[in-house]
Amino acid sequence: MISDNAKAVMRKDLSEFRRQKLVIGSIIAMPLILGILIPLSMFAPIAMEAPEGPTWDVENLFTQGRLDPSWDVPETASTLESVETADVALQNTRVVNATIERAVLTECDVRDSTLKNVTIDSCLLENVNLYNCVVTNSRGAGLDGETIMSVDSELVFEHERESELEKLIPMFLNTTLILFIILPVTLPTIIASYSIVGEKNNKSLEPILASPTTDGELLLGKVLSAFVPSMASTLGAVAVGGAIINIFLSQLGEPLLPNLTWVLGILLLAPLACIMSILACVIVSSRVTDVRAAQQVGGFIVMPVIVLMFGVLAGVILLTPLAMLAISGAFAAANGGLYYFAKAIFNREDILVRWA
Amino acid sequence: MIKCNALTRRYDDITAISDLNLTIEDREVFGLLGPNGAGKTTTMRMLACLIAPTSGDATIGGHSILDLRGQQEIRRITGLLPEAPGLYDTLSAHANLDFYGKLYGMPQALRERSIKEVLEKFDLWDRRDDAVGTFSKGMRQKVAIARAILHDPTYLFLDEPTAGLDPKASKTVRDYIVSLREEGKTIVINTHNLAEAERICDRVALINGRTIQVGPPGNLARGLFARTLTVTLAEEDPSLAEGLESFPYIASIETSGTRLRLTVKDPEQNNPSLVKWLVEKGARVQFVEEEEYSLEDVYLRLMEEGGRR
Repeated sequence: MISDNAKAVMRKDLSEFRRQKLVIGSIIAMPLILGILIPLSMFAPIAMEAPEGPTWDVENLFTQGRLDPSWDVPETASTLESVETADVALQNTRVVNATIERAVLTECDVRDSTLKNVTIDSCLLENVNLYNCVVTNSRGAGLDGETIMSVDSELVFEHERESELEKLIPMFLNTTLILFIILPVTLPTIIASYSIVGEKNNKSLEPILASPTTDGELLLGKVLSAFVPSMASTLGAVAVGGAIINIFLSQLGEPLLPNLTWVLGILLLAPLACIMSILACVIVSSRVTDVRAAQQVGGFIVMPVIVLMFGVLAGVILLTPLAMLAISGAFAAANGGLYYFAKAIFNREDILVRWA
Repeated sequence: MIKCNALTRRYDDITAISDLNLTIEDREVFGLLGPNGAGKTTTMRMLACLIAPTSGDATIGGHSILDLRGQQEIRRITGLLPEAPGLYDTLSAHANLDFYGKLYGMPQALRERSIKEVLEKFDLWDRRDDAVGTFSKGMRQKVAIARAILHDPTYLFLDEPTAGLDPKASKTVRDYIVSLREEGKTIVINTHNLAEAERICDRVALINGRTIQVGPPGNLARGLFARTLTVTLAEEDPSLAEGLESFPYIASIETSGTRLRLTVKDPEQNNPSLVKWLVEKGARVQFVEEEEYSLEDVYLRLMEEGGRR
């Protein structure tokens, strides 16, 4: 339950922020940068460079050109079924359950067969294993094999392989998520530094402390006044950034956001990181008398999240939902320690005697 | 009533105030006088429950500053004007006061009524929506005083209420303090302005790390200075001074033209016989006046003699 006095402190601070260009500028500019520019700069090149269609995991597969969409299934005049043959040339034939070596197949319909050292032109292939084959102007599905040269054909194999760009997408998503988590860590270093050290410079702490407001209410009010705009700004950035990323993901045929990792990151880790930053700012603010000094020292607070980002970029940390819960747990534990430390130094006596 | 019992506060090795014993009656304007670093602000901060005493105790309206519940109650019944106004420059006068009204738990209707009342009292109602950063020093001080009295406290602690104000603004603040006493408030003022203390304080305490003297400003000179009379004659007569030397109750005689400056032990007892003797000697006595000592004289003498820390 938030007391009326804590709410009053928060509302007063928010009213002050509205008139502070640095604070309001940061609250608006940082989400714009993170919410629009970063998703655009990261995902637009991926969308432009992404290959059309899937990449096949077949050894020595070479493809060139695509099949004309007006291609028709060839009509077959005869059937070759359940045979093993070699050194033949077949035209306009239905081949079913056969093994054929060293052959030329033209306008054939081949199903459930194996073709070795065969030249295939204008054929329909289904469930066929191809070894050392050249395929031109043909269409096929459920294929397998190795050393295949495909020219002006549309072949669908059984084994798909992730493209390099596809591998990058989860990493880019994780990096973007971390950047979004940096936002609620960075903004409090500006807001909380101002709201606490500013109060100190303004010499306005004494009349507040002479009122019936308790130390805890004042601390809570200060935490909330930094938390609310930081998280509002973060959620705004995530909403805009997520929408932009989803446009690119839909183009790439990838699952759209939010996924569970993002939900946990934004709704659990980001608030915890924000609170950690605010509490650290309270502690830093008690030791410095200048807003800029507080902001500079506060800049170091971003370091744990930067380390997290490098861990993600280096592939050391995989941001799975479980990892999110574990990291959030670590942040929550750190917050517990910081809270007791901040509470210990945030008392009337210290504020007036040592802070001033 | 405010009672201080051996109130002491040390900051590490430095003793700001030691063994302060004071009783401030209700409806009294009480001045704390002393040089910089005398412990005036520390005393006020202890009474406003901002810092704890190292030893000793004080009660305000029966509530002890050592008791946690008492502290909360004291904060409700006291108002503080700190040395610096501590206003929020970007907020309006109204917003500044409204914030403090909320901290004191005042309902909105009461807040609005009180804000209007105090701002009108200081002729600031028309400027209520202007940012206090645009106000003059005097106006800012008025808003700070308005903030201290907004919740209608019984006890007021005012630290240098007229510091840095022009004479007109100072007078407004002084008049207002006097009017607050008439409303039944008990007011403690820290000030360097001795003339001001003399004018508005019922009693003052001279402190310099400890209590040096307490009493009404007019009475502090008694016992501190010898009582001196100035007798103005119509004509100069050097023989009179020679004759006065034989008087046992006259400690010293200075002459300057038609003026005789006499230090007399007990003017109330001795003046009639003294004047009678002068008249009998043919002197035409025009005026007999006792020299008065200002609070400044008292302050300087006390600080010089016994006020060294």
